[in-house]
Amino acid sequence: MSREVVSTGNQLAAKAAIDAGCKFFGGYPLTPSSEIAHEMSKMLPKVGGVFIQMEDEIAGISVALGSSMSGVKSMTNTSGPGISLKAEQIGLAFMGEVPLVITNVMRGGPSTGLPTRPAQQDILQAQAPTHGDYQSITLCAGSLDECYTETVRAFNLAERFMTPVFVLLDETLGHMVGKAELPDIEEVQGNLVERRVYEGDAATYEPYNVPSDEPAILNPFFKGYRYHITGLHHGPTGFPTEDAKMCQELIDRLFNKILAHKDEIESYEEFMLDDADIMIIAYGSVSLSAKEAIRQLRKEGIKVGLFRPITLWPSPEEKIDELCHKFDKILVAEMNKGQYFNEIQRASGKKASEFETLFKANGRPISPEEFKAKIKEMV
Amino acid sequence: MRKQLRFTGVGGQGVLLAGEILARSYVRAGKYGIQVGTYTSQVRGGATKVDIILDDEQILYPYAVDGEIDFMLSVADKSYQLFKEGVKDGGIIVYEPNLVYPSDDDKARWKMFPIEIIAIAKEKVGNVITQSVVALAIATKMNNLDREMVFDTMIATVPPKAVEINKKAFELGYQAAEEVLAKANS
Repeated sequence: MSREVVSTGNQLAAKAAIDAGCKFFGGYPLTPSSEIAHEMSKMLPKVGGVFIQMEDEIAGISVALGSSMSGVKSMTNTSGPGISLKAEQIGLAFMGEVPLVITNVMRGGPSTGLPTRPAQQDILQAQAPTHGDYQSITLCAGSLDECYTETVRAFNLAERFMTPVFVLLDETLGHMVGKAELPDIEEVQGNLVERRVYEGDAATYEPYNVPSDEPAILNPFFKGYRYHITGLHHGPTGFPTEDAKMCQELIDRLFNKILAHKDEIESYEEFMLDDADIMIIAYGSVSLSAKEAIRQLRKEGIKVGLFRPITLWPSPEEKIDELCHKFDKILVAEMNKGQYFNEIQRASGKKASEFETLFKANGRPISPEEFKAKIKEMV
Repeated sequence: MRKQLRFTGVGGQGVLLAGEILARSYVRAGKYGIQVGTYTSQVRGGATKVDIILDDEQILYPYAVDGEIDFMLSVADKSYQLFKEGVKDGGIIVYEPNLVYPSDDDKARWKMFPIEIIAIAKEKVGNVITQSVVALAIATKMNNLDREMVFDTMIATVPPKAVEINKKAFELGYQAAEEVLAKANS
């Protein structure tokens, strides 16, 4: 049984966090993401949680990390400029293996850009928000329903893989009001992933001494299990090391713990592709426009379908490769200058010239009319 | 059948709320409604539009299609001039005559109805903030929407202490729309 609500995407992301068991929010308001913070400030106290608005973006993520280290499901929220500011602490989360959900409601950039308008310009930022080597998990909502379901999934993935997880919305999805069908609360809460806890002898506890493709097991602080979390390269107990073998194994593991479990992370939608002659690749709110165009074009007898990655990073590279070789006519559409297009070329091995593109970076949505005009040129 | 509506004003006038209530009322009736606003980073004074799409079938793309808009309501000339081209030829435009200045060409192209929306809210209802509910009632009448459906949703959406004043705003807005329609038909 599903739940029907009328809501904005931002409200749904906050509702999802609460339903997923989030008990701490630390952040700083930033358009067009602020309503997530507003909602959390209303809802968290009602479930015994804590909301704190800090003095800036950096402090916002810092307190959320501290809360997560204490074993509490935690969240921070912002838009692209805020991610830029939080970058150093995001690195600490990758390195120390501290789970955290980070929602980014995208607006135009670079810098302060276009605060109130939609964009998809933080795709590469989400893949590599900070310096160093690591693997990002980035989920991208493509509907109001998914503002909820992908945020729930982000909490589960963060706890499972002990890593920060990004949820990308955009201004359109964040602010639009419409009907959403949410999964039943029992279904959501019956499938929550809780953090693994070491229950052996505290004297021999080594949180980072785990198999080469598994995340660290970090017990909540203040419960009798003593260890160290640092941004420096570290050994089994978390204390810094410069040992060559340990340093290599650590970074290898930050990759392997994600890449060896891609089947648990990967997610995409194939929409009307079965009999299609032309494939559109789009994600986020742009996919809503693509679907509307597909519906209209099919009434005119033009068979178009859509491939929509939901997990952007790690990318569904095998699926992209397969589909890009099945279709000769492919249109890639993004509200940026082609940030995911790079990945599509890499995954498929095809050249840029083998695709048609529809890129827009002026803070305006791509309309169904623009899709239709472009597709008609391709027929 | 799909209806595409657009409310326009400047930041701070509260045009978002009316659109949200319309979308909600359609969903309450088991249909589909979507509202999405476009605004500027100016806190006040920037041209703002709110698109509302109402349909019996699922709506995917949330923005109204320029050139296909059935109804526009405008309470600021800046946004009227910027967004009027989105209204289909022969479509309905309701404007606040003290703040919006349509040309003779505009009056020939669209069905234009002047209603003193702000004055009604400020002087007759007694609070300028109710202009969004005055506008909501006008949009309801002008688009032949189910009055009861929209009214009930409005009552359920506004804060409890503001119910009475908004009832009055809805009533006066609806009346004003009936009057301009009667005048046009006479």
